[in-house]
Amino acid sequence: MTNDPFSKCHPTVNFLYFLGVIGCGVLIQHPAYLAAGVLCGGLYYLLLNGRGGWRRILGLLPLFVLLAAINPLFNTQGQRILFRIFGRPYTLEALLYGGAIGAMFVSMMLWFGCYDRVLTGDKFTSLFGNLIPAISLLLVMVFRLVPHFIRKTRQIVGARRSIGKGVGEAASGADKLKHGLVVLGALTSWALEGSVVTGDSMRARGYGSARRSSFMIYRMTWADYALLAAMMGLLGLVIGFAAGGSAAAQFTPSLKIAPVSGFRALGLGAYWAYLLIPTVLYVKEAIQWHISRLKI
Amino acid sequence: MKKSHWATLLVFFVLIPLTLYLGTRLSGRSYYITGTLIILELMVPFFMAFEGRKPQARELVVVAVLSAIAIAGRVAIPIPHFKAAFAIIMLAGIAFGPETGFIVGAITAFASNFFYGQGAFTPWQMMGYGAGGMLAGFLFRRGWLPRNRWVMAAFGFAAVIVWVGPLLDCSHIFLTLGSTDWVGALGYLISGFWVNLVQGVCTMLVMLLFGIPLLEKLDRIKMKYGMMEDENGL
Amino acid sequence: MAHFQIEDLTFAYPTAKGRSLDGVNLTIDRGEYVVLCGKSGSGKTTLLRHLKTVLTPHGKRGGRVLFNGVDMEQVSQRDQAAKIGYVMQDPDNQIVTDKVWHELAFGLESLGCDQKTMRARVAEMACYFGIQDWFHRDVATLSGGQKQLLNLASIMAMQPETLILDEPTSQLDPIAASDFLNTVRKINVELGTTVIITEHRLEDIFPYADRAIVMDGGQVIADDTPRGIGKALHERKNDMFAAMPTPVRVFYGANGQGECPLTVREGRNWLNRCFPAPPQIHGLPAEPLEEEVTNPALSLKELWFRYEKESPDVLRGVSAQVPTGSLWAIVGGNGAGKSTTLKAICGICRPYRGKVKIFGKPLEKYKAKELFGGCLAMLPQDPKSLFVKKTVREELAEMTDDRQKIDEVTALCQIGTLLDSHPYDLSGGEQQRSALAKVLLTQPRILLLDEPTKGIDSFFKEKLADILCKLKDQGVTIVMVSHDVEFCAKYADRVSMFFDGQLLTTDTPRRFFGGNSFYTTAAGRMSRHVFDLAVTAEDVVGLCRQAQEG
Repeated sequence: MTNDPFSKCHPTVNFLYFLGVIGCGVLIQHPAYLAAGVLCGGLYYLLLNGRGGWRRILGLLPLFVLLAAINPLFNTQGQRILFRIFGRPYTLEALLYGGAIGAMFVSMMLWFGCYDRVLTGDKFTSLFGNLIPAISLLLVMVFRLVPHFIRKTRQIVGARRSIGKGVGEAASGADKLKHGLVVLGALTSWALEGSVVTGDSMRARGYGSARRSSFMIYRMTWADYALLAAMMGLLGLVIGFAAGGSAAAQFTPSLKIAPVSGFRALGLGAYWAYLLIPTVLYVKEAIQWHISRLKI
Repeated sequence: MKKSHWATLLVFFVLIPLTLYLGTRLSGRSYYITGTLIILELMVPFFMAFEGRKPQARELVVVAVLSAIAIAGRVAIPIPHFKAAFAIIMLAGIAFGPETGFIVGAITAFASNFFYGQGAFTPWQMMGYGAGGMLAGFLFRRGWLPRNRWVMAAFGFAAVIVWVGPLLDCSHIFLTLGSTDWVGALGYLISGFWVNLVQGVCTMLVMLLFGIPLLEKLDRIKMKYGMMEDENGL
Repeated sequence: MAHFQIEDLTFAYPTAKGRSLDGVNLTIDRGEYVVLCGKSGSGKTTLLRHLKTVLTPHGKRGGRVLFNGVDMEQVSQRDQAAKIGYVMQDPDNQIVTDKVWHELAFGLESLGCDQKTMRARVAEMACYFGIQDWFHRDVATLSGGQKQLLNLASIMAMQPETLILDEPTSQLDPIAASDFLNTVRKINVELGTTVIITEHRLEDIFPYADRAIVMDGGQVIADDTPRGIGKALHERKNDMFAAMPTPVRVFYGANGQGECPLTVREGRNWLNRCFPAPPQIHGLPAEPLEEEVTNPALSLKELWFRYEKESPDVLRGVSAQVPTGSLWAIVGGNGAGKSTTLKAICGICRPYRGKVKIFGKPLEKYKAKELFGGCLAMLPQDPKSLFVKKTVREELAEMTDDRQKIDEVTALCQIGTLLDSHPYDLSGGEQQRSALAKVLLTQPRILLLDEPTKGIDSFFKEKLADILCKLKDQGVTIVMVSHDVEFCAKYADRVSMFFDGQLLTTDTPRRFFGGNSFYTTAAGRMSRHVFDLAVTAEDVVGLCRQAQEG
């Protein structure tokens, strides 16, 4: 687990932040905004994942090119025809549009990657523990059972192997499937049998005897409230400017992109600021830590 | 009238029209946003019904176990890209009825993405799996389709090809396609068809070979819990 | 007013013929520490489950249970949940949530406590049980002992008046088990919580219990102080006497006079009184282990292994030679690499250095079919890992079509009456014998056993020992990994100590356990100052008698 200060904020802050990022990211297709989304997303992704993050980012590059190049094949609108393929025009506008779609898709992948690292299962369930208690509890139970079952599956495979009932790498697909389903069946029997115990254990500890409350391990601090307020302010600015047309962009049939200059640059600035929040927190903490180390 | 019934009315007659209206006024990926919102709104009544039912411990446990098996199942079968998840969800629906089928499906999709990564497709996948489990519950519990392994296999195959696969493709189409370009959409659906076909065949095989044994195991556990007399699922 | 008052309780399961409980009358007072003992199937669990309505099984019932003077049926679910804590056998499946902190809070959440109360109680419990260090961990990363401690803590968070424990340590290793039982005792002494417990491991709790109750066939056959119970069982020649702590068995075996010892310390003092001067015959003969093994069934040479490239070595030069037709037991602490050694022997782990030879032929020269079809087989720690069918009969039929072989193995493992049962309807010991039967159908010449005595009571242990002896007579070589020193001392031919990735010492059990002062049997600890190399209760009894006669 990386030492990311934003991950330590209250889950409400995390959740609303990502809701804002993903909402804006999907809706706004102005190139400058898209570029901000990709760059900031990439930066935060790298902070969270360290060097291993480069591999995924580089892996997204071909996807971007593919999405950009494919769009003109379907979308033939546009004025500047680059060439014709299968008798259909391949236009510059459609290619740019494809690029915008690719950028949006790549930024979504990056931000969802960050989301997975920050808003872990226990944060999500503690966030919604009061609103949807039964479903939150269900999710928590599934989170516990999955690693438990994976371990048991390996035990069953090993146990069967050592009585001569395993399958090798070289076995045929049909044999592997048959063997796999036998293992799955054994796992199911074992799991259902265990579920009787779990059910007893829940009822023995009073499940269903009163209205459930939800233990909050995370507490909102004043820093969380301050951050939330800053987030909302910035997001309000972005939405306001976008509604005013500062972030409007049309690619086909003709290119119409709102200029980013003067007063309108404020919207873009707010967007950058919003997207950079986790990175800024990260850098700030790194510097503070460094200074406090120097003092000692 | 129950809370969840009010919610259903609210969703159908207020929220969805409102979303559609707002959707036409959005720029960018409005189709994706509108579609996703509608899917989320459609799921609300189901979840509310589940919450309102105050599910008992045994129900929660069985749903959690089935979901976790659907997720962990891919470790059991040593064939890459072979997923038994959807088959298990539908069998849960067949054994315990449409409501449980829906919950197992939606929870499986959502929880599995905590292990393998969330994405823009998450709500669509939840809807696809949930509705698949629900449909299986309706058709087999009501006796419209017999609990025969060939029928279950054919149903599983059809459900993937016609419903779950295309729904997931739609989330990609709405997210990545520009204006409504129907040629493009068709192209996507066709390119996605092969993937769906493979998944359909997987689901069919699992239903065929594993369906009846799994149902027997579930029946055994129902006996153990003493819930055979209970007609409404769990 | 009694805490629990059980009056004429009778119970029968719907499918069973006989009664599981037959006219039970009991009174349990506040703050008592009560041990409930009896064979598997004697009705212990059924009785315990009647002390909490939500856990009471369906069936025909007569009589009643009063809790604090009120009929149990009238006590509200919420009160029962909060006031009566119930810890079950299986450490894993009792856990509901994925995080330690959440599990601690689960009961309080169910009772609908407010945040402030929950915070205080959770913090209190985490400190009392020493859970702070793993408070934020995933449950999946805990050891069995930690899991069971977590189960106990999450129940204690509700501040119950009574703690009911149904064989809570049967799935734990001895060190974790005695830690757990010490915690239970601490709760009883420091908080005054009433404790009602069933256990196989009577050595650890018998001396501290206020009262012991023995059940047989659904009836209470004895209800007395632990000392009184030992006497009563001995006088009645009851089977349960075999489950008594070693000092008790030695005392009555040697016709001891005076007060019966319960602990090793009391046993030593008693022996001192019996033999003020050292007796003439003061030890047992013990031949040293022959150094060279000719024709070993199994030979391990300098095995080195680690799971990941970066992780530390688990096996650090393991070497051993096992003569054909002998029982080799490997003992040692948790996580020392004992199970990994078994995995290396059957090829699940591949050592990066060193050689495994089976009947003189290197392991890698064997094809999987050849190796596991008549040469080697392993019984896993959890016998349930082997069950894939609906009945035991089908389980056996999965292995072979040969009716005669199946009949032979069925007779050997004494599972003739269980063939039509579902494997999951059997008790722990029965499950284990069924799994063993399945393993034996591959007709292995080397049998590997991983913790075969885990979770089974002393009667089933004896049955298992019986089967193992018969297999040895047929020339089967047995390799066993175990924590159960008493079992190893009694039945193994050679014992090795596993420590720090190596097999440190190998010797005959008598010399091995006779030489150790900590890592040895209770009989050994009790008698080592008087007798040499007496490691089982039978050894000590025999020597006492000889000394008295001579």
